[in-house]
Amino acid sequence: MARVAILRFPGTWSDRDFAHALSLAGAETEILWHEDVRLDGFDAAIVPGGFAYGDYVRAGAIARLSPAIRELRRFADAGKPVLGSCNGFQILCEAGMLPGALTRNAGLEFRCDWVSMRIESDATPFTRGLGGEVVRMPIAHGEGCWVAGEETVERVEAEGLVVFRYVDERGAATAAGNPNGSMNNVAGLRNAAGNVVGLMPHPERCAEPLLGGTDGMRLLDRLVASLGTSPASVGA
Amino acid sequence: MKYVATIHVRPKAEVRDPQGEAIVGALNSLGLGVANVRTGKEIVVTFDAADESAARRATDIMGRELLANPVVEDFSVELAAG
Repeated sequence: MARVAILRFPGTWSDRDFAHALSLAGAETEILWHEDVRLDGFDAAIVPGGFAYGDYVRAGAIARLSPAIRELRRFADAGKPVLGSCNGFQILCEAGMLPGALTRNAGLEFRCDWVSMRIESDATPFTRGLGGEVVRMPIAHGEGCWVAGEETVERVEAEGLVVFRYVDERGAATAAGNPNGSMNNVAGLRNAAGNVVGLMPHPERCAEPLLGGTDGMRLLDRLVASLGTSPASVGA
Repeated sequence: MKYVATIHVRPKAEVRDPQGEAIVGALNSLGLGVANVRTGKEIVVTFDAADESAARRATDIMGRELLANPVVEDFSVELAAG
């Protein structure tokens, strides 16, 4: 069975939701306290949402210097899939594992809502076969405005590193569809190798019909399938 | 030797500062002709270093590695003997 590590920092709040959603996808999970993160023997790792270390200095800034992220970087460099959602995305950007930075929402409001995104890259273990699809997921963040220097934005677009782009109800990447002012409507990115992915929305919060949507489960199903264990084989 | 560094962190000129924009509106509601506001933060660090150049090197590391995000922020340092 695929084994997925879920990192828990002081202030992380989506770790158990991810564990539940991943168990529905047929993965075995373990929540690792930030002081005890050893990733040998795991097939993938999740950096969930929350407020790691209270978001002190900047969201993700203190997590970046933690031994847990050093270990995560080693794991990612070995090509293992890593997903950061919300605060996890902020941490991956702060750690330099994804480009750019996440800053205060343009409207200053904390946004708690459902958003639509187009999947722009299927070159990741989370989105294989989903390129071009529009998905709906919840967001809950105050600092989700993705910003980068001009050269970085050009490189990100030229290399196809945008994985998720906010779109309006017609599927167009307009200001109306952009909840936080992110440059180029960026909702989520991958690294050049494609194994590290971050996004502001919460796939773990739309993983079963009871929660109002199941698009998050599609990403987690793709991950588990890419690790060689399909949900159907779990009961066998 | 003890040093006290006052480190100022602010958004780069080309980065939007929505908090500053909100302050412009609030100050103008007081009837003031405010054109622009940029916000930042001040961090005061007391630390030991062998001499002033070592202290400067240390504050540079503090700014680059933690206190400012080079993608969106600049920092400046005022250093004083503690």
